[in-house]
Amino acid sequence: MSARILNRDELLRLIDEAARDRRLIGPVRRGERTFYEAADRAAELDLDGPQCVYSPKAHFFPPEETLLTFERKSRSFVTHPVRHETPTALVAVRPCEIHGIRLLDHVFGAAPADEGYLARRRATFIIALDCFRPCRDEAFCGDLGTNTAHLGFDLMIRRLSDPEEGSRGAERFELTSATEDGASLLSRAGLGRTADRADLDAVRAYERSKASAFPRRLSCEADRLPEVAQRGYTSTVWERTAARCYSCGSCNLVCPTCYCFNLRDEVSLDGKSGARVREWDGCQLREFAVVAGGHNFRAAPAERLRHRVMRKASWIAQRTGLPGCVGCGRCDRACTAKISLVEILNTLAREQDHDHAGHS
Amino acid sequence: MKPRIAVFSLTSCEGCSLAILELEDQLLEILGAVDIVNFREGMTERSWDIDVAFVDGAVSTPHDEEEIRRIRERCRTLVAIGACACLGGVNTLKHDPARPDYRCVVYGDRADWFPTTRARPLSAVVKVDAELPGCPMVKEEFLELVRCLLNGRQFRLPPNPVCTECKKLGNPCLYERGEFCLGPLTRAGCRAICPSFGSVCEACRGLVDGEALRAGREVFNTQYVVPWEEVVARLRLYGAVCENAEPVAAPAAGGGS
Repeated sequence: MSARILNRDELLRLIDEAARDRRLIGPVRRGERTFYEAADRAAELDLDGPQCVYSPKAHFFPPEETLLTFERKSRSFVTHPVRHETPTALVAVRPCEIHGIRLLDHVFGAAPADEGYLARRRATFIIALDCFRPCRDEAFCGDLGTNTAHLGFDLMIRRLSDPEEGSRGAERFELTSATEDGASLLSRAGLGRTADRADLDAVRAYERSKASAFPRRLSCEADRLPEVAQRGYTSTVWERTAARCYSCGSCNLVCPTCYCFNLRDEVSLDGKSGARVREWDGCQLREFAVVAGGHNFRAAPAERLRHRVMRKASWIAQRTGLPGCVGCGRCDRACTAKISLVEILNTLAREQDHDHAGHS
Repeated sequence: MKPRIAVFSLTSCEGCSLAILELEDQLLEILGAVDIVNFREGMTERSWDIDVAFVDGAVSTPHDEEEIRRIRERCRTLVAIGACACLGGVNTLKHDPARPDYRCVVYGDRADWFPTTRARPLSAVVKVDAELPGCPMVKEEFLELVRCLLNGRQFRLPPNPVCTECKKLGNPCLYERGEFCLGPLTRAGCRAICPSFGSVCEACRGLVDGEALRAGREVFNTQYVVPWEEVVARLRLYGAVCENAEPVAAPAAGGGS
């Protein structure tokens, strides 16, 4: 289905239409920040604000969830799976976050599939919002090409008019669909008009303007990252940087592509019933790689830091073909020790350039 | 037979004992599973035949010391509850060598009638089997410990810092507001209650471990204008680090006093 052009009022009506039989979740402003939270109407959402503090990962993969309950019946246990799936319209998801969700889809969808995750995912209608400008200094999505997404959503909004220019009444939004659900909603709602020649010119101008708006922060090309990371395995950057790592795991927990979890069983006072709970885990946490018997395979902070960077820059991409890092910059922002993924990668690239120069 | 449980208080506000009574929804269930045989805040009967003793408060007077030794002899499992029993708590503020006059301010010219010692955690005096830190202790954690004891399961405190709980709750980080929260250094388990209400963590649950302290010193010496000494001073409020001790110094050789 071809693109449709909507003004702001029509866009809000379209979102409300998507949320007619669904719970609405989108960026809600709290002070200077926005968070993905439930709202009653599209008008309550902040479609012009900054990147949300947290990615929408928690919507599909909650920080803590009960997977099943169990009870003792005579000599055996009976288990009851717990499923939580509420039809949801998830609105104004940024391209980098769409790439993060695609990775989660790959990981939780691979056999043995995580039915709870997939059920929530299927019950969610995603309206993405393209980024016209970088959302914050820490972002390096422009380097990774994750500032744009072509699939992984139902509808995509592109704002053809710069919000800082002109009045809101003159605003134009281009709506495209990537799924049948998206196309069907767009045609059923019958809002706006089909794109005309002037709109297509505006789309081209939008794309040109966007291409030059995202600064490059990585000093090497994105497709060299796996090699740069691997060759940096024995660098001293890990020890030097990890000296100030608290091992607090904040970088993991805010990352749209981190999907590790821990399972624990909660048992009632009388021991007759309980629940199996899944909670977020992270490879920077001190006990992440502890195995039965107590051995820790990555006891040193430097080993843990290297592990994370290897996964983000190399291993996930090698295994899945999808970006292990989407360049949202949340890890750098969340680090109270000011450890920067971009700085580490640039340090590795620089060290290797020096090595290369030294040997030639 | 139901386990016989007792609750005692040394030098403290007894708020942790009260936290047990605040488990209102679970209290009947707990009473169905255990016998409470000695609990000053909750009953008049007293028995010294005890399986599990929960003790709040620091060992801060010669009397406290006698009391905790006696409790240790009379129970099988000793659990320290709250910042005072686990770390010494706010009682350790009296160690400040610059203020020898504290006792006189409180007790006037009769200060000598009330001898005190250095405020110490229970573990400095007797063997402690489990600790439930926090000011006050986290009552849900108390309940989890009781569940573990009754079911023969191992109880462990969360091995991670408070930051993990803020992230799971979706809290904005207080460092972004320019505030110096002790969350990265402090043991989780409180559901980040202070940052969740906009206040910095004050480390009432103690350090998560020595490694975080080493990292903290590096972070504050290289990344922030706030001097590390100020961070350490704040860590002293509940005794998360001891007075004067440069916190991660190697243990003194010899061990003589």
